[in-house]
Amino acid sequence: MRIIVLCIMLLVAPTACLSLAAERELKVGFIYVSPVGDAGWSHAHEQARQAIEAMDGVSTSYVEAVAEGPDSERVIQTMARKRSDLIFATSFGYMDSMLKVARQFPNTVFMHCSGFKTAANMGNYFGRIYQPRYLSGMVAGAMSKTGVLGYVAAFPIPEVIRGINAFTLGARSVNPQATVRVVWTKTWYDPAKEKEAAKSLLDVGADVIAQHQDSPGPQEAAQERGVYSIGYNTDMSRFAPKAHLTAPVWNWTPYYRQVVEQVQKGTWKPSSDWPGLAEGVVDLAPFGPMVPPAVRERVQAKRAEIVAGRERIFTGPIADQAGTVRIPAGAVAADQELLGMNWFVQGVVGTTE
Amino acid sequence: MNIDLLVPLFAAAVVSGTPLLYATLGELCTEKTGVLNLGVEGVMLVGCLAAFVTARLTGSPWLAFAAAGLAGGLFASLHGVVCLVFQGNQVVSGLALTLLGTGLANYLGTGLVGQAAPGFAPLPIPGLAGIPVLGPILFAHDPLVYLSFLLPPLFWLFFTKTRPGLHLRAAGEFPGAATAAGLNAVACRWVGVVVGGFFMGLGGAYLSLAYTHLWTNNLTAGRGWIAVALVIFAFWRPGRAAFGAYLFGGIMALQLRLQAAGTTLPSSLLLMLPYVLTVAVLVFSAGRRRTAPAPAALGTNIEPPA
Amino acid sequence: MLRVVRRPASPGWRGALVVSGSALLALAGSLLLLGVQGVSPLAGLKVLVLGAFGSAWAIEDCLLKAIPLFLCSLGVAVAFRLQIWNIGAEGQFALGAIGATWVALSLPGLPKVVLLPLMIMAACLAGGLWGLIPAILRQRLGASEIIVTLMGNYIAILLLEFLVYGVWKDPSGFPMTPAFADAALLGTIGTTSVNWGLVHCLVLGAAVWVLFRFSRIGYELRACGDNVRAARYAGLPYDRLALLVMALGGGLAGWAGCIEASASLGRLQPSIMAGYGYTAIVVAWLARLSPLYIGLSAFLLAALRVGVEHLQLDLQVPAAFGSIIEGLILLTVLAGSFFLTYRLVPARRP
Repeated sequence: MRIIVLCIMLLVAPTACLSLAAERELKVGFIYVSPVGDAGWSHAHEQARQAIEAMDGVSTSYVEAVAEGPDSERVIQTMARKRSDLIFATSFGYMDSMLKVARQFPNTVFMHCSGFKTAANMGNYFGRIYQPRYLSGMVAGAMSKTGVLGYVAAFPIPEVIRGINAFTLGARSVNPQATVRVVWTKTWYDPAKEKEAAKSLLDVGADVIAQHQDSPGPQEAAQERGVYSIGYNTDMSRFAPKAHLTAPVWNWTPYYRQVVEQVQKGTWKPSSDWPGLAEGVVDLAPFGPMVPPAVRERVQAKRAEIVAGRERIFTGPIADQAGTVRIPAGAVAADQELLGMNWFVQGVVGTTE
Repeated sequence: MNIDLLVPLFAAAVVSGTPLLYATLGELCTEKTGVLNLGVEGVMLVGCLAAFVTARLTGSPWLAFAAAGLAGGLFASLHGVVCLVFQGNQVVSGLALTLLGTGLANYLGTGLVGQAAPGFAPLPIPGLAGIPVLGPILFAHDPLVYLSFLLPPLFWLFFTKTRPGLHLRAAGEFPGAATAAGLNAVACRWVGVVVGGFFMGLGGAYLSLAYTHLWTNNLTAGRGWIAVALVIFAFWRPGRAAFGAYLFGGIMALQLRLQAAGTTLPSSLLLMLPYVLTVAVLVFSAGRRRTAPAPAALGTNIEPPA
Repeated sequence: MLRVVRRPASPGWRGALVVSGSALLALAGSLLLLGVQGVSPLAGLKVLVLGAFGSAWAIEDCLLKAIPLFLCSLGVAVAFRLQIWNIGAEGQFALGAIGATWVALSLPGLPKVVLLPLMIMAACLAGGLWGLIPAILRQRLGASEIIVTLMGNYIAILLLEFLVYGVWKDPSGFPMTPAFADAALLGTIGTTSVNWGLVHCLVLGAAVWVLFRFSRIGYELRACGDNVRAARYAGLPYDRLALLVMALGGGLAGWAGCIEASASLGRLQPSIMAGYGYTAIVVAWLARLSPLYIGLSAFLLAALRVGVEHLQLDLQVPAAFGSIIEGLILLTVLAGSFFLTYRLVPARRP
């Protein structure tokens, strides 16, 4: 019996060595908070993942619709156990879970999106989507006849509040009297509720609808009423071709490519990255046919300024809803301040709860 | 709140209440024959997906609407099998149906999230839609809403004035006596379950064909459960069911409109309104009734003949 | 033709056989459904079983999930025995988590030995209250507990959101409470990842079993469960028992909420809600409402959840698949139970 086992080992060993010597593929895992077909947030990450998959020496896998909380910890752990080299977790609620798992697997690189914690083998990243939101606000402000803009908002968290503020600042740069009314749906993808929320905004006189959710529900509502809308995440014009003006969109491919290359070369270091328009991670979707050339030029010019770093958007003086100046004249809000933003600028009608 | 905000609110109440109305009437039909089907949420979601898929495949919203009803009836017949054939506990079977229905629909529909389907568009009735106040509230909606206006009177006529309707009710009130009088009570219950499922499926279809033209996981978002409560609220009467459905539709629309109007109340509290109201309504209807309007044999299975 | 005849005797071992057989049938049926996704049922079965049982950490994952499931099911089973349909375990769980959080956030300076028991007490009181209210409405006003407990679930979750978006919001601005102090964290047993909640489960399970088997209340509960009218005529305090079981059920679910908030998350956030309250109904029914079998049933359904996660990870199966299995299991067990109460005999010729 022992001789047989020895023979088998002698036969297997060389082949095992051969495969070890061969180039080991980088295993990259992605964790999404919603289904990838949502034409929104997760879809944008998924598109980047497919681009990464095409890279040399890289194999990827993903899990979608992972609930935040203890379940996500188990999923991240399982991915790490399966010898993943690099794991991207694409929702804020995965932060604590990822940190816990990162401590257990020092040889894996963990990247958390939209959070703020880091470790020796964990970094976080996000995109300055507020930049194209500002631009979309300019478009909305220019195209609105009533000066009342409606914002279908998801959850009262800093990134959403920041987006609303940027949108409002952009709209007011074109029309200083513009107001933005906010309705919270507490959903990321519920077309029924989000469409109803858009309708409720239209009923109070809004004639451009913007949104932070991933479903095209609000776009449908705008098209049905014959008014305009701003999409989000991806170009939503196919859902509302007569209404869709433009949309702030994500493009994670350049950033993910960069991270993967760093890990492959061994040059990755933990950091808090926040790329924006200049790096190509965020952008504005193509304009709908109804946007006049004058508006397009103005927005493109502003876009160039943002890319060049001349326009920082949250430059003082900026006052909140009550009139208190939060960002003094001449100052620019620091990243930390923006990441924890929990107040609305003037011009926003609504609560932050 | 002035009239400018009230009229759109009532109009939104009608639209929002329509899926509730279909589902409530479906559950009412089932309960009148003595079967409690708590799986409304599951049946609705199955119908919702069936409608969406059929609309995408055939391009015909009406075909999709019918397909949803068929799917709903078919799915609800599982409840019939478990309870009417296998004497399963009706409460637990309904819960299982909800689990299975939502799971099945979400599972099969995963690839369709983010797609749109051809559906119904609002069709204002010429002339009537122009009437001040009532016009926009009642006559500026899609065809499915107009269809739903016909249902409560039809249901009332059927259950109170026709022989088959009375037979169905007998199966729900005195199945033993009905059987002794030569009625096949179990067959009546089958009709109640399947036809009820048909209407629940239609309620689900409204969400993906008219309310929106989209699909997502759990698009029904608890409306099936509200329908179950509404049947109790309605004292098992179709007319009151309509009132209840529009009332709840209105509440669901209201909390969003309060936000749009600029209230400072936290949205979480506003979102509680429909659910708190359901409980309040139950408490008041339970407290005030003198005779129990529920079908006497509701929830109890008919023992197989010895 | 076949005729249906009632069986005289009680099920006994046949009960376990029917339940297992039905559940396996449901599992097989669900796996066949995987074919729709283009996944081989056999591959799915392999991933499911290996994912749930294939390693030490898999078993630990199962235990971790089984803990809250067990406590919620215990509560649900106790009420179901009296034909009181407690669908509110989810909401009672949430209230328990809220109660525990309130203590953890208000009294962080206390030593663990005092703080944890206080948290548990607050959780049980909060959950118990959330179970008591539907019971009172049921007994006093005849309001359907099915609807009230269900609505209670939605209201409880919104209450949780209201708190984490409002007064309890973390300074970072995100919808969660600040992290609990170390003294408020329920630790793990030795070097495993399983927390002390496991021991709580064993103790509570034993306590409920003893209560049912040997106490007067247990006797009354059993009597009432069989026939409510007869029990009332016999003078048994049905109303009080109804309130008791709902409060007990709520308290147990609340305890589970405390464990999840304290041990698994270390804070309160909306994602604490994982549907345990609904799966608990499946667990309770599979165990035929017997505290003795709920442990096994909870472990198996927790293993199912863990296995389904692996299906997602390895085979890209959508998460909803778990609900399909659970629903099918419940339906087949319900149908299969028919053969416990009845049997088929050839019909006598007229």
